[in-house]
Amino acid sequence: MITVQSLQHTFIIGKKGQEKKVEVLKDINFRIEQGEIVAIVGKSGSGKSTLLQTIAGFMKPDSGSIIVNNTEIAGFTEKQSTAFRLDHFGFIFQNFQLLSSQTVFENVELPLKLKGISPAIRKKKVSEILTKVELAGVADHYPNELSGGQQQRVSIARAMITNPPIILADEPTGSLDSQTEKEILTLIQQLNEQDNITFIIITHDEEVASIADRKFRMADGVLVGGMAHVI
Amino acid sequence: MLFKDQLQFVFQHMKKNKLRVTMTILAAMIGCSFLIVLASVGFGIQETLRNDILSQEEITKIELYGDETLSEKDREYIESVDHVNVVLNKAELDGIVSTSFEDRKGESTGVIYNTSELKQLPSNLNEGRLPEQANEIVVGYHFAQSLLNEEDRAIIEKKSKEAEEQGSYYDGSEEGYKGDILNKEVNLQFYNAETEAYTEPSTFKIVGILKKPSYDWYVDSSIQFSDALLDKFPNLVTYPSTFIYVDSVENVMPVLETLKDQNYQVYSQIEQLEEMDLFFLIFKIGLIFIGTIAILIASIGIFNTMTMAVTERTREIGVLKAIGASPNLIQRLFLMESTFIGLLGTVLAVIVSYVISFAANAILPYVVSFALSEEDLSNYELTFSLIPISLVLVAGSISLLVAIISGWRPARNATKIEVIQALRQEL
Repeated sequence: MITVQSLQHTFIIGKKGQEKKVEVLKDINFRIEQGEIVAIVGKSGSGKSTLLQTIAGFMKPDSGSIIVNNTEIAGFTEKQSTAFRLDHFGFIFQNFQLLSSQTVFENVELPLKLKGISPAIRKKKVSEILTKVELAGVADHYPNELSGGQQQRVSIARAMITNPPIILADEPTGSLDSQTEKEILTLIQQLNEQDNITFIIITHDEEVASIADRKFRMADGVLVGGMAHVI
Repeated sequence: MLFKDQLQFVFQHMKKNKLRVTMTILAAMIGCSFLIVLASVGFGIQETLRNDILSQEEITKIELYGDETLSEKDREYIESVDHVNVVLNKAELDGIVSTSFEDRKGESTGVIYNTSELKQLPSNLNEGRLPEQANEIVVGYHFAQSLLNEEDRAIIEKKSKEAEEQGSYYDGSEEGYKGDILNKEVNLQFYNAETEAYTEPSTFKIVGILKKPSYDWYVDSSIQFSDALLDKFPNLVTYPSTFIYVDSVENVMPVLETLKDQNYQVYSQIEQLEEMDLFFLIFKIGLIFIGTIAILIASIGIFNTMTMAVTERTREIGVLKAIGASPNLIQRLFLMESTFIGLLGTVLAVIVSYVISFAANAILPYVVSFALSEEDLSNYELTFSLIPISLVLVAGSISLLVAIISGWRPARNATKIEVIQALRQEL
């Protein structure tokens, strides 16, 4: 499903002439199977978000390989990356990243619009998924009219709408209270069981990591243990 | 993304920033309408001069210089040239022709035409027919008006004095013979320059009346005779001239060139038109260039608006890219927005320009006649501003092109926004 081999990435920071190299990903290797929930845990600055962003194609690694569904994506151009994301990935962000000018319905509909799906099919699909995440009653509301938990449900619905095989979640409950966190985690588990979707969740919260089938622990850019399949 | 969805997305954003977008559209409109109105003055002046030339002379007419009557050989050659329809001989009578009718008298100029040649040309008669006999004539539209008796002269003198006191003048149009002059008989006397005396009166029948002249100020009291007149009065002094009529306007220049090659001294108004068209082409290009500067200034507004739009929507662009919007789509959405601003500005500019042009043509004749203390100019065919479709197309294209170019850089910048940086922006 997802195979990462010898993944390396270095940031250059500091003023010109006083640049410093920081190795954020050092020889990362793992494999994730279809339908798994994998949590990548670690402290701030451990490199877990960079790993997720590299898999998502938001940045190119310096070296190494990322194979998703038998496609090598590490060397993709930006155009190839965006097209690949649209077909293979859904995203859940810590601060939801909903478009404030669009209604709940329109936010969820957006990936379908990008895929060029007809309005009739879009309407049907969005209505179905909003019912699934229990937001059918607020379809015409704007994001700022919803609670944090509801906004994250919208974000999950948007991530799921194109039926992607993989959902990448970056601190999905980071902005939520503990009660809402539990609801969202239950929803993620339900969707994983019902639709066999692979979840990769970046978190520093052990509670969140507890729903994962496997846990990868990162420290200083290295996978230091846990249950990664070393190839 | 479906085109319909792209349009909806763009309009949604334009609506969100209504005030800013409206002001930018207004700036684009002012720039484009300035260009159209400025250039329309060039088109208007050209139209006025063109109409002036076209109404002065028949445009398919070529004048042959020379004091002598055309020889048969020359006539045969000219008639053999392609597209030459008629070669018309004209002879102007020396001196004036004195008319007497009932108790009225008048003075006219006299012209002799070959009736058979004249018949081949489109009729310039208001009513009646061309003269066939030596004692038949055709008279100008104002001929009856020029026939005055003593009473008329006194009234005209009185009215002229009154008009003079009010700072204007009286043209005598209310006096003269009021009845139908067609088929009436008049007595004519020809002035002989050599003997400095008039010939004995002869009776002529008016068989036709010429059309009203195209200029309102032109009083036509002339008399046209058939060439049979010279059989009756062989001693009349005349000044001959020759006109060549071509079948259509576009063939005037080729015929003119052919005759010039054969060393004929020929002239046509169309030569003047061609020179004038070249001058106005350069003049209009100059005006369009100046007007384009206004559009360029407006384009700074479009550039600013689009740059602001990209800056404000950085996070949104990041989200779109994250969920799979291609850089090309992002660029297209912003380009569409700047194009719509330009398009709306252009459409409004065209409407505003037509209104300004219409108002200028309606009001300016009064303003000019007031400023110059002239008589009412509103009867003259003066075009101050003319907006042909070609001008709308040129100005519209310039305006749209500039709008697209202005939006290009911000749109390119939008595609370069990095997803990670964009998503880190505060909500």
